[in-house]
Amino acid sequence: MMKKGSFLGLALALGAVLVMTACSKQEAAAPAAATAVSDAPVTLTVWCWDPNFNVYAMNEAAKIYQREKPNVTVNVLDITDIEQKITTALSAGEMADLPDIVLNQDNSIQRFVQTYPDAYLPLNGKVDLSKFAEFKLDVGVYEGKNYGVPFDNGATATFLRRDIVEQAGFQVSDFNDITWERFIELGQVVKRETGVAMVSTVAGSSDFIMLMLQSAGKWFFDDEGKVTIKDNPAVVEAIKTYKALVDSGVLLQAADWNAYIATLNNGTTASTIQGCWIIGSITPATDQAGKWAVVNTPRFANVDSVNYSSQGGSGWMVFSSSKHPDIAMDLLNKTFAGSTELYETILPSSGAIGTWLPAADSPVYSEPHAFFGGQKIYEDLVDYASKVPRVKYGVFNYEARDVVGRAAAAVLQGASIDAALDEAQKYLEFQIAE
Amino acid sequence: MGRVKLERKYAVWGWLFVAPASLMIFILSFFPMIQAFILSLQSGRGNNLRFAGMRNYLRLLEDEQFRAAVCNVFTYLIIQVPIMLILALILATILNEQTLKLKGLFRTLVFLPCVAGLVSAATIFKSIFSIDGLVNIMLLKLHIITSPVSFLSDPVWAKAVIIIVITWRWTGYNTIFYLAGFQTIETSIYEAARIDGANAAQQFFKITMPLLRPVILLTTIMSTNGTLQIFDEVRTITGTSGGPGNATLTISQYIYNLSFLYSPQFGYAAAASYTILFMVAVLSFIQMKIGDKE
Repeated sequence: MMKKGSFLGLALALGAVLVMTACSKQEAAAPAAATAVSDAPVTLTVWCWDPNFNVYAMNEAAKIYQREKPNVTVNVLDITDIEQKITTALSAGEMADLPDIVLNQDNSIQRFVQTYPDAYLPLNGKVDLSKFAEFKLDVGVYEGKNYGVPFDNGATATFLRRDIVEQAGFQVSDFNDITWERFIELGQVVKRETGVAMVSTVAGSSDFIMLMLQSAGKWFFDDEGKVTIKDNPAVVEAIKTYKALVDSGVLLQAADWNAYIATLNNGTTASTIQGCWIIGSITPATDQAGKWAVVNTPRFANVDSVNYSSQGGSGWMVFSSSKHPDIAMDLLNKTFAGSTELYETILPSSGAIGTWLPAADSPVYSEPHAFFGGQKIYEDLVDYASKVPRVKYGVFNYEARDVVGRAAAAVLQGASIDAALDEAQKYLEFQIAE
Repeated sequence: MGRVKLERKYAVWGWLFVAPASLMIFILSFFPMIQAFILSLQSGRGNNLRFAGMRNYLRLLEDEQFRAAVCNVFTYLIIQVPIMLILALILATILNEQTLKLKGLFRTLVFLPCVAGLVSAATIFKSIFSIDGLVNIMLLKLHIITSPVSFLSDPVWAKAVIIIVITWRWTGYNTIFYLAGFQTIETSIYEAARIDGANAAQQFFKITMPLLRPVILLTTIMSTNGTLQIFDEVRTITGTSGGPGNATLTISQYIYNLSFLYSPQFGYAAAASYTILFMVAVLSFIQMKIGDKE
């Protein structure tokens, strides 16, 4: 009895200690693995997040790369909360579990590189970045070096229900090359004639404000990173326009992302103004086939701006902890930065429109799209992408987005624009101060 | 002599059995707490941290977003905790009634919301209160409103929805504590009271409440603690920004945003976490002073 008891107590105490040392040992041993020789089997791990979109695209890229380098296996993982996971790993200094390649939202590439300068590898000289649309490359530049290989295009467009606007007595072309004022006028008629809201968005999101700003080539920060909210005519105009959209009843505010997608699929809205990746969420509503059309984005009437902008989009980055950084970069160079075939494969099946310019010459891009009534939408979208003004999102993009979102909410509740933006400017300055 | 030896043996064995768990608690809970405190004295972004003394704490006092979060959390606390605990007490009294039929069924029903995941519960309430949700449809059908109300984009209503969710989710949980508390009260006390001519209200306020005091204290401290740390429900219903404006933002949400959404400031976030600890400690102390007369 005694013996048994003492053994149990000891085992418990030892067990606890063992479990902990075992864990830490494993992690310590991992980075010691040898660097691969050219023909030895190599496995690259890639993190991204959408099985029908970027996971699919990376798997197709892997297939193409494997024809040349059969020894390379690419393990593409569908990861949720990707930014949180990376932040945790990098902050803990525990890079062993990170992948070789990660897909990063355009608007946070600079934040990650600035915060963790040694965690990512510059791609200059290893990946040919000369043939991408410039505005997409810019978002991945930090201190003159490129850290992102542009993937999907975020060029915005107005995706329009042809049948609904025609029912209201308009043509699709009436919505092309217009100002927001005109858009609101048209929207009010559409609402009156058909009972359908002109456009929808997620309540409380700053998406509209941000796409309006980029259409004017302006952002919440100037080139030196100083906050420019208060006296920025583009921000003032964007908030004014946003309020007008809401007050006129033209803009329907959905509770969340899923509700927003539902407004597109169940016909409660006549259009959406969004990055062109939204096509992937529009086309599953097969009962609406042939009823959609694409025109460009509205612009400001009073502030210098164009009918083109960008929203979302992402790029591939390579971690410095990769055991095969050269192979990882070679993979990106030969596929996303060098294979027309890849873009020809992923475009028709997933709607992933790249910003690698040579791909746009492919005949696949000029094929009519039946869902959009035979319009050659990819040709149009690539054309829009080439005209998107360049802006520098900077390191504090999410902070700015939330602060301005709050200012917009206050204005919708009746606060004056000047007061709200004044407060936003002050608070953002406070928040980004060291 | 033999007795002392036996006691000694007991003590040694007792410590040995407690040791593994204590060690784990120390390593997994107390050690990180100490580290977090050290972290809260450092400032900087990402891993570029420098010692900053109390600067983070002073900065929190000036931070509007933090102030808004503290105000919101206290609004939830002051409105929600009393409502929930009174409801729980009423439910427990009804469920404890000797004459009540199907007691098992009702007890299960009252406790059932507690089994629901926080996020699922919040998601369901979000859809109920959405612009085309159940509440709007009902109010429209009853002609109480003429056009749908956007509950979640109104600062007051959004808070109300969150209070409703927490109350729905946690009332049953507290009811069970009170029910358990009732079982410790001797029925003979009530019998004596009845013989002395006390009515139901008198029995409740003069017997039940005082005898239940330790349980009420426990539930109050637990609820206060839980509400100060609330995250899941608000994150689900109004998203990371805690909108509209700052109207529903909580301290935990702000800590999360500082660490994972914004350019990471772990020192500052740790300081914000420590303010929750401080608030919980102070509130619990006050409640214990008021509630526990022994």
